Amino acid sequence: MRYADFTPYDIVLLLQGLGVTLALFVGTTLIGLAIGLALAVAHHYRVPGCRPVIVLVTEALKNSPVLVQLFLVFFGIPAFLHIRMSPVEAATLTISLNTAAFAFVVFRSGIESIDRDQIEAAQVFGLSRSQILRLIIAPQAAAFSVGPLVGILVNQLQVTSLISVIGVFDLTKIGNILNLRTLQPFIVWAVIGLIYYLAAKTLAHAGGRIEAALRKSVKWGGI
Amino acid sequence: MIVAENVEKRFGDALVLKRVNLRVEPGEVVTILGASGSGKSTLIRCINGLEALSGGKITVDGHDVSTKAGLVAARRASATVFQLFNLYPHMTALGNITLAPIEVLKLPKAEAEARARALLDKVGLGAHAGAYPQQLSGGQRQRVGICRALAMQPRYLLLDEVTSALDPEMTGDVLRILAELADDGTTMVFVTHEIEFARHISSRIVFLEQGELIVDLPTAQFFAEDGGLAVPRIRQFLSKMKKD
Amino acid sequence: MRFWRVIEPHIGFLLQGFALTIVACLLAIVGAVLLGALTASMRSSGNRWVRGTANAYGDVFRNVPFLVQLFFFFYGLPELGIYIGAFETGVIAMSIAGGAFVSDVILSGILTVDTGVIDAAKVSGLSRIKIFTRIVLPIALRVSVRPMGSILINLVLTSSILSTITVNELTGAAKIVAATTFKPFEVYAVLLVLYASLTTLLSFAISAIHRRLNRFMMGG
Repeated sequence: MRYADFTPYDIVLLLQGLGVTLALFVGTTLIGLAIGLALAVAHHYRVPGCRPVIVLVTEALKNSPVLVQLFLVFFGIPAFLHIRMSPVEAATLTISLNTAAFAFVVFRSGIESIDRDQIEAAQVFGLSRSQILRLIIAPQAAAFSVGPLVGILVNQLQVTSLISVIGVFDLTKIGNILNLRTLQPFIVWAVIGLIYYLAAKTLAHAGGRIEAALRKSVKWGGI
Repeated sequence: MIVAENVEKRFGDALVLKRVNLRVEPGEVVTILGASGSGKSTLIRCINGLEALSGGKITVDGHDVSTKAGLVAARRASATVFQLFNLYPHMTALGNITLAPIEVLKLPKAEAEARARALLDKVGLGAHAGAYPQQLSGGQRQRVGICRALAMQPRYLLLDEVTSALDPEMTGDVLRILAELADDGTTMVFVTHEIEFARHISSRIVFLEQGELIVDLPTAQFFAEDGGLAVPRIRQFLSKMKKD
Repeated sequence: MRFWRVIEPHIGFLLQGFALTIVACLLAIVGAVLLGALTASMRSSGNRWVRGTANAYGDVFRNVPFLVQLFFFFYGLPELGIYIGAFETGVIAMSIAGGAFVSDVILSGILTVDTGVIDAAKVSGLSRIKIFTRIVLPIALRVSVRPMGSILINLVLTSSILSTITVNELTGAAKIVAATTFKPFEVYAVLLVLYASLTTLLSFAISAIHRRLNRFMMGG
């Protein structure tokens, strides 16, 4: 197809791209939050040897460009370890770790912000360590963390656009394809931008509601 | 001449100034007394145009402060010293004093600085020209505030509780400077709680009671048994201030 | 060391890329601060339309991926008959994206300025513009050093994306080196460490500047 106009099928293409973007975003968010939480817990309980490594790795991830991380994982690791890696695998691995690094910081300060007195009080009542973690720290840390996490996730949603550079057919990649085919950059990129914008706004709105609900439940919990 | 005619000021439903009339002639030192919340500071803030009038009229040398051009001219004629100094925190003492002379009066920088240094010398802060407000004590900051006002060579100096935020020793320094200014014939409108000082330097004293100007007398008469002291509210106020 | 052996023959080329990264970031931060200051002053304006326009700009450019913005300008500007180089396009896109964040920082800086200080400036007869440029903005900028620094650091990270529009800044140069040496792991690992060191150094510098500029303002 050469310099063709837009066709109704392009809508399907856009939806496909959006589907890939959202699936990858949701997947990496779940993995990233889980890893970030695990790191924060390991950090909190001072697992031997863990602290410096966790801090060094998360700082490196937060302070280097995601694009470089993607290149390192997609081009570097396969060449170094002589393994195969698909663009989707490399993208999932990179964005998950990146999200984990930012989530770690939020969870860590969430845990730290909870009054030490409460933990001591719980110990007096004879709660075990895991009970303290589950019943006291987790719900409050969650409530404290939702606001900043939503900010991070809105940002990470935009970061996923970079995976198009290593060949994942996400929304931005679809934009590239339509741009090349139609040669109508203004319309194509405005539409792609609008879709990202709406997704980001929806995410921020949903996050705001979850935050409000969580804060309420913590308050009602009367801890 | 500063003329306030039937000045009214509302904040929401509250009427803070009620039909206030006041005239300040050149050369006069007029002190405004009154309890907290009586509208003293609001009256000053109406004269310098920081608060818009709800009714009535204020003119400074004939310039109506409620018009744009009038306000510009009125602000050229007057200068204000504030209770909390309100110095520009990012500028040195010298910078604070020279900003408006350079920007508004269009003085050459060197001239503005020479004038500022002379003023700082006069208030005993010659060595602190390069200091930032945070490096100065409260009394020193207020003296810089006075210099900043005087640098504009105002015909009228408006002083809004300028010693209220200061320790007693620092208050003395600032009051001495104001007394000198009064002796030099500077026209001042002075909101204060320093009764003895007001008695010493004022030519006239007016008393505000819940937004109403209930007494306006020459100083001697204000403190006379058959003058201001004959008004029960003023007697009460003065005896209370003495106790504090 | 194997990493150094891979990098060493290309160090001059990589340094050129590094220099381009620095220049792009410096130009972009200047552009972002100018645009951010203008937007912040518009957002504190009394006029509803002025405020709305400025808010919309900030909102849009913070919620659309930078890569999409970059493509919009890179492919779109020639459509308008504006033919500028990829580097210039990149700097403009970074300035516009950065300006949206800077305006937030400056606006919150503006809101921290004591109203009494503004009163003093008003009664001294300074015009609104002078009050803004001589009093409000300088104070706002001083308290904004730290958040502004985070934006600069983000711009450094974002500048790597310019490699997607053929700008051979640090990441673009590294891409070429990785392709010619067939050692992508070594090249990108070194690159990652370089960026991380650069941004860490920057954040130290920003803390130092913050302390210096605010030494007389925070009572410390």
